[in-house]
Amino acid sequence: MMENAWLIPLFPLFSFLILLLVGKRMKETSAYVGIIMTFLSFIGAVAVLLERLDAPTYKAEQVWFTIGSIKITAGFEVNALNALMLVVVSLVSFLVHIYSKGYMHGDDRFSVFYAYLGLFTFAMLGLVMSPNLLQTYVFWELVGLGSFLLIGFYFYKEEAKAAAKKAFIMTRIGDVGLLIGMILLFWQAGSFEYDHIFAAVKAGNVSQTMITLSAILIFIGAVGKSGQFPLHTWLPDAMEGPTPVSALIHAATMVAAGVYLVAALFPLYEASETAMLTVAIVGGFTAIFAASIGLVQTDIKRVLAYSTVSQLGYMMLALGSGGYVAGIFHLTTHAFFKALLFLAAGSVIHAVQTQDIEKMGGLWRKMPLTAPLFLIGTLAISGVPLLSGFFSKDEILVAAWTHGHSVLFWIAVLAAFFTAFYMFRLFFLVFSGEGRHEAKEVHESPAVMTFPMIVLSVLAIFSGYINTPWFGTFLGDWLTDEGFAHEEAPSWIMVVATVVSLLGILLAWLMYGRRSLARDWLSSRAPLTYNVLFNKYYIDEFYAMTFGYVTKFISVLCKYIDRFVVEGIAVAIAAITKAIGAFGARLQNGQVQMYGAVTLIGLTILVVILAFTGGYL
Amino acid sequence: MKWETLVQYKWGMMTPEFIILGVATILSLIDLFMPRGKDRRLLAWFAFVGVAIAFVSVIGLLPAKTASILYDTFRLDAFAKAFKLLLLAGAALVLLLALDYKPKEGIKYRGEFYYLFLTALLGAMMMTSSGDLITLFVGLELLSVSSYILAGLRKTYRLSNESAMKYVINGGISTAMTLFGMSYVFGLTGSTNLKKIAVQLSTLTDGGQQYLLALAFLILFVGLSFKLASVPFHMWAPDVYQGAPTPVTAFLSVVSKTAGFVIVLRLFITIFAAAPSHGKDPSSMLLSMQDYIAFLAGATMIIGNTIALKQRNVKRLFAYSSIAHAGYVLVGFAAMSWVMVDSIWFYFVAYLLMNLGAFAILQVISDQSGSEDISHFAGLYKRNPFMAMTMGIFLLSLAGIPGTAGFIGKVNIFLGAFMTEPAHYVLAAIMIATTVVSYVYYFGLFTQIFFRATAEHEPIKLPLGVTIVVIVCAVGTILFGIIPSLAYNFLDQFQHFGDFLQ
Repeated sequence: MMENAWLIPLFPLFSFLILLLVGKRMKETSAYVGIIMTFLSFIGAVAVLLERLDAPTYKAEQVWFTIGSIKITAGFEVNALNALMLVVVSLVSFLVHIYSKGYMHGDDRFSVFYAYLGLFTFAMLGLVMSPNLLQTYVFWELVGLGSFLLIGFYFYKEEAKAAAKKAFIMTRIGDVGLLIGMILLFWQAGSFEYDHIFAAVKAGNVSQTMITLSAILIFIGAVGKSGQFPLHTWLPDAMEGPTPVSALIHAATMVAAGVYLVAALFPLYEASETAMLTVAIVGGFTAIFAASIGLVQTDIKRVLAYSTVSQLGYMMLALGSGGYVAGIFHLTTHAFFKALLFLAAGSVIHAVQTQDIEKMGGLWRKMPLTAPLFLIGTLAISGVPLLSGFFSKDEILVAAWTHGHSVLFWIAVLAAFFTAFYMFRLFFLVFSGEGRHEAKEVHESPAVMTFPMIVLSVLAIFSGYINTPWFGTFLGDWLTDEGFAHEEAPSWIMVVATVVSLLGILLAWLMYGRRSLARDWLSSRAPLTYNVLFNKYYIDEFYAMTFGYVTKFISVLCKYIDRFVVEGIAVAIAAITKAIGAFGARLQNGQVQMYGAVTLIGLTILVVILAFTGGYL
Repeated sequence: MKWETLVQYKWGMMTPEFIILGVATILSLIDLFMPRGKDRRLLAWFAFVGVAIAFVSVIGLLPAKTASILYDTFRLDAFAKAFKLLLLAGAALVLLLALDYKPKEGIKYRGEFYYLFLTALLGAMMMTSSGDLITLFVGLELLSVSSYILAGLRKTYRLSNESAMKYVINGGISTAMTLFGMSYVFGLTGSTNLKKIAVQLSTLTDGGQQYLLALAFLILFVGLSFKLASVPFHMWAPDVYQGAPTPVTAFLSVVSKTAGFVIVLRLFITIFAAAPSHGKDPSSMLLSMQDYIAFLAGATMIIGNTIALKQRNVKRLFAYSSIAHAGYVLVGFAAMSWVMVDSIWFYFVAYLLMNLGAFAILQVISDQSGSEDISHFAGLYKRNPFMAMTMGIFLLSLAGIPGTAGFIGKVNIFLGAFMTEPAHYVLAAIMIATTVVSYVYYFGLFTQIFFRATAEHEPIKLPLGVTIVVIVCAVGTILFGIIPSLAYNFLDQFQHFGDFLQ
């Protein structure tokens, strides 16, 4: 199957083309085309993965075009990382295809939605099997295009339109870095191909400064795509897209492309300490920064979006700390539990018709399937022991600790605490207490929506066992070929991680879960009012003193940095561009004399420059 | 010149030019004697067939050895062949657009409309082949004068008159400058033959004379930048593009611009490449003046792309977009890598396809709505999905998104900028940054087409000629985007235009 791996991305492309041509007539049966095609991709990907388990890397390529004596090749490569990504992407895409059948039911542009999904899946699968940087770039842009189309899917909403445009342009700023870094590497190593670049780096044909420079430039591309600080602002806005899209693109696959890119170029990064440190610091900062913003959000999807940003920061931190396996491991487990969370959130939104968590509550009994599934996702992301997130997060903490970034390690621990807290805050606000929603009848979602969630929840629980310190590090051994040794880290790290995550959950429970419990209690046992009030007061005070002030301060500060500094710079650049445009347009006053004068002035300037710098006079 | 020498010339190498000349002459005669009320659209097909035959004859001439006739004034080399193919293909597509052009007040002089394209084309073709300042200039003027008339063919439409007027005046300034620059060159060498000029100039040692030559370089370049619509001679473009009949606008932005680059490449490489100078490269005036071109290229990209942001009129938008594209091509020229001509040629292939395709759609929409406001593109996807999809392809290609010919064209030019020693980092950075800016307006149009509700609901019908153009352009844009080696294998036979200076 490995030599036929090129077929895998073609199935969704085929689905895209079919739906483009006859989708209008097929109406909602379009879904089946998409589902069947992505299923075929998934089967193919699994076959490739199984074969790659004990076979060497397979690579096939051909000359694409030649410029002068430079041959640009195109082809595909199945290495361990690519095979894993193929399965993750095709699986999540397949599940989202199924889910959307229920979620998008009744939408006018149902078939268009599936067509776009097909295009995106094609591009994403193409991206993760590219053997060279140029091809990667091609798919990288196509993925961005798919994302643009899908974020703007509800185009009649102004916010959606603005968000689509913002996402496209923000990530494009990162791509400029990627493109320049890529070309720099090309001229240093003489090739776009990963293998050649690594060989050149290893042989010392590329100077240290060049390695660092190009690695950091490429990292800027990854920063844009993976929503890392300071190019992250598009990701929360991208939540304007339909929820299945958020699950597929803005949680599991596309946003992980930046992490994938850094992982794919890992030997390059390893060759430069500065680049590694940059990746680690940006990742660590993003992890804590986004997590603290997540604490105060009230839109269910935005909480999840900031959580995605924060988790991606985690992965970057892992890679920057040399934790290649840790980063990819977390990427995989995160893809499953975050897709689960988004799909479950979609199910909730579908039921209560709002995204505001202040208007939810009390859904535990009304949504008997969604609620426990959401809980599984929440437990996994919080790093509760024995679920997938626990193992991958532990791996990252170990990587950060053993590589001596103790500050980053503690930041990661703190971020883990925040994560557990805001995720459970979300959980309690949505599912416990009394219903604050306006929707009269809340129904559980149809099976077509719950089935993908069940599959994902199984993965969210068990996918961690592919790489554990207790039962063996299969993933690590396989990814690194030469036998990966789980670094002997002090065992207290695992304890700390567990304690911190449980503390976060406890605090959330005290604040959002317990409070509602107490309210019930109060109605039945009036005499204890004082006690309960005190208790409540105590919690608020506790929150305000120890946690509230500090985090609220940080979080508000971050929010303002986000809004005024980061967006401000973006606005400033846009304003300068517009100002040039406006000035030029004003010169364009329709008078021919002006046009001629501008030409002559231009010529005069050139001649004057020549006179002073030409060296003739 | 004796009759015997005239007969000895291999006139065969001028076959394409003769065909175009013949067709244009016959067309004008038919038009003259044709009854008034008769439908003249048949003439367009006649012109189209003529151009197609000329195209085939150029292909027939491909294996011909590099040679020149008429005392080196007419050359047939790889450069001439490659660019003639481009010009002919562009003109053929423009004729198909002109076939279906229906402004609201109608066009009274349809006959002229068709054969003036041919005379303009003839001028452009002469430019690709000329080896002498005189023929170069005559070709340039033939192109220009025909275009002036074409721009004003909607005689009762005020904007069209304005367009022609502005075009003539600016063209006059341009001609004056170009001739002035040429006169310096002639004064320094005493010859109008490009080859002789090059030989003469290669022994130019006097500092004062070199200074004069550098001045001539700048004056010539600014004069010719009129045809490229690049800074500082770009300001006429939006006004002229807006008022001219849409097929003429398409012609100006594609065929005429290509011709402009043809004359720039021909003139500057032949004359200035080997002339000594005082600048950073003493052995070559061209390399010494590289920074000036780079500066203008940067300014062109910035101005074109930023002003385009403010445009609501689609034709003006495309005028600025075409200014920006001239800037990208100038990057290829300014970098002066050894794949310069290849990359510029490929860029024009891509540009021809995507821009003419876009103009075809634009023409249908503005004909039907009677306005060129961007809002008429709203909801196009609902009204005619085929047009929306193809326009989407053209916009993606213009923006340089991978999978399209526009991307490959940009990559080539971009790689070229890094190929030289030292590499042109700043220029490449400006190119990327302004490309990002261009996404804003291309995707603005894209959003209109796909993401806006439509005000008008009547479906749009595509006339035959336009349909052909749209299909050819869309297929070509995708094909050259995915398999660019098609074009590169074709280019291989020219061996990087090594016979340019022979």
